[in-house]
Amino acid sequence: MSERLQVLVLDDEPIVGKRLQPALAKVGCDVEVFEAPAEALKRIAEKDFHIVVTDIRMEDIDGIEVLERVLGKRPETKVIMITGYATVEVAREALAKGAFDFIAKPFKPQELRDVIAKAALALGFKGIAEAGVAAEK
Amino acid sequence: MDSASPEQSGSGATDLRLQKALLERPGISIRTRLILGFLSLFFLSAVVTAAAWVMLSRLEVRLRFLEVADRYTMEIQQARRFEKNYFLYGTGLSDLMEHVENSRKLLDDAQAEAGKVLTASDLKLMQEHLKLYQGLVERLEKAHADPLAMDKEKAGIESDLRSNGSLMVDFALQLAQKERSKVNSTLALFKKWTLVFLVALLGLMVLIANFLARQMLGPLGRLTATAQRIATGDFTPIKPARWYRDEFSDLAVAMNTMMRELQHRHDVLVQSHKLRAVGTLTAGVAHELNNPINNITLTAEMLKEDYPELSDGERLEMVNDLVAQAERAQKIVRNLLDFARESEIKTEKLDLAELLRSTAGLVANQIKLQGAKIELDIPSTLPPIHGDRQSLSQVFLNLLLNALDAVKKGGHVTIKAWPDREKGFIHVAVSDDGCGIPPHVLPNIFDPFFSTKPRGKGTGLGLSVSLGIVRQHGGDIAVESAPEKGSTFTVTLPAALVPEIK
Repeated sequence: MSERLQVLVLDDEPIVGKRLQPALAKVGCDVEVFEAPAEALKRIAEKDFHIVVTDIRMEDIDGIEVLERVLGKRPETKVIMITGYATVEVAREALAKGAFDFIAKPFKPQELRDVIAKAALALGFKGIAEAGVAAEK
Repeated sequence: MDSASPEQSGSGATDLRLQKALLERPGISIRTRLILGFLSLFFLSAVVTAAAWVMLSRLEVRLRFLEVADRYTMEIQQARRFEKNYFLYGTGLSDLMEHVENSRKLLDDAQAEAGKVLTASDLKLMQEHLKLYQGLVERLEKAHADPLAMDKEKAGIESDLRSNGSLMVDFALQLAQKERSKVNSTLALFKKWTLVFLVALLGLMVLIANFLARQMLGPLGRLTATAQRIATGDFTPIKPARWYRDEFSDLAVAMNTMMRELQHRHDVLVQSHKLRAVGTLTAGVAHELNNPINNITLTAEMLKEDYPELSDGERLEMVNDLVAQAERAQKIVRNLLDFARESEIKTEKLDLAELLRSTAGLVANQIKLQGAKIELDIPSTLPPIHGDRQSLSQVFLNLLLNALDAVKKGGHVTIKAWPDREKGFIHVAVSDDGCGIPPHVLPNIFDPFFSTKPRGKGTGLGLSVSLGIVRQHGGDIAVESAPEKGSTFTVTLPAALVPEIK
């Protein structure tokens, strides 16, 4: 597959997007970063993303709602949840609703890359995992 | 609690000083005052009795003298009757002499007591009259034995005897009359004074009863006022108001001890409630802390990873982000620690707007977690207030956490502050559009240990402790609520309008 992995990152902390953008671009993803859930959802409606990374706790619209909206539009999208509280219930709810995986704050860029690589593999993209490993070196 | 601050031990010393001041006054017990009151009544009665005694004994003397005067008059009148008989029939001379002698004895006997009611000159005059009369009678007796001399002297003696005799009778009658009228006037006076005494006694009794009642009702009223004051949470110790000490002082000392204990319990209660609030906040704070830590982790990792490729400007931006996020984390932790720390009550000039903003900051994350919205409507021109920063922060935190408990997802919590310049107060309203408070529990919400939250969720102390704190600041909390429409708690605090003079 020559198609590049399309990733959307949604977190109301601006620094998260600012740092993840180059971190993921480096491993061959096309990354779009959003701070406001409403704008992110608007963009999701316009464009198909392979992977959506979203914070669970946000003002206005929370991550679970984003998850439902994304899967409702394109069920094969892999949604990775970022959570501040890695509580069992939140994780269970997210997974039950079809999230691919979750990652607890604070996390390192590589930890997210590993999860994305796993998701990419599940989607049939191969380059990401290798690139991730390469970037680590 | 073992870290007794100097302030606390200072207030303890003040308490002890007050205790000493209360106890060191001269003691005049209620019993003593009762005894003194009744003693003064007894004293008045004793004086009146003594006066009556003296008057009665004088009256007794007068009556006795009156009797003597009557008998004397009778003897003299008898003597004059025999005198008349003698001059008419020439008989009864010995009887005449006997009656004259009797009269003389009566006067001599009365001399000892007569001095009290009769002037010495009057008595002397009477004795002289009698002596003259007796002399005449003796001359008559001598002449009786010698008819020659009798004829010569009879006419002269007879006229002398008659004039002297009538003089004596008049004098004695006058004397008796005078005495009788004196006795009568004394009796009338006695009657009048008895009434005067009765009125005076009544007056004195009313006075004493009034005095004792005032003495007892005054402190009683003061203690009642104190009890009401305690009920509103004012634990200022009772200060000595009078120069002496009595049973009420002991009660005041006991009440001061009670207040000290209550204050201590209240402090423990406030602290334990604060720790509950800290527990509630901790979860939110932990989440809140994760954000700056995550930002630091991501930034530091990327800085490490991309260091060689980054431009100086990019590196500087990342380092600045690191510094800013570290400060953010520090601030979150410090806020919580500031709130949780036990510290003495410290009254200072406070910027209420700033206090409200930082308190709202403490719950900002809680609000975010719950998907609620908070709006602040706080003019920055609010006048300052005097108060304890931590306690007041706790009050608003309680109200905010309660509001958050009441609102559903997407609900609104508003903090609105406005000055009431005319009265020198500031109002702060914490409103929510949540579930509201049912009217039947509304009167109880400020009661200690009253809670509508599920068992184990609330201490039931939040509002009670908050009201206590606000009242200590000279303010009040009012509540308005409509079920399903929301509640508004309005805290009113006195503004520090007069600038502090240092």
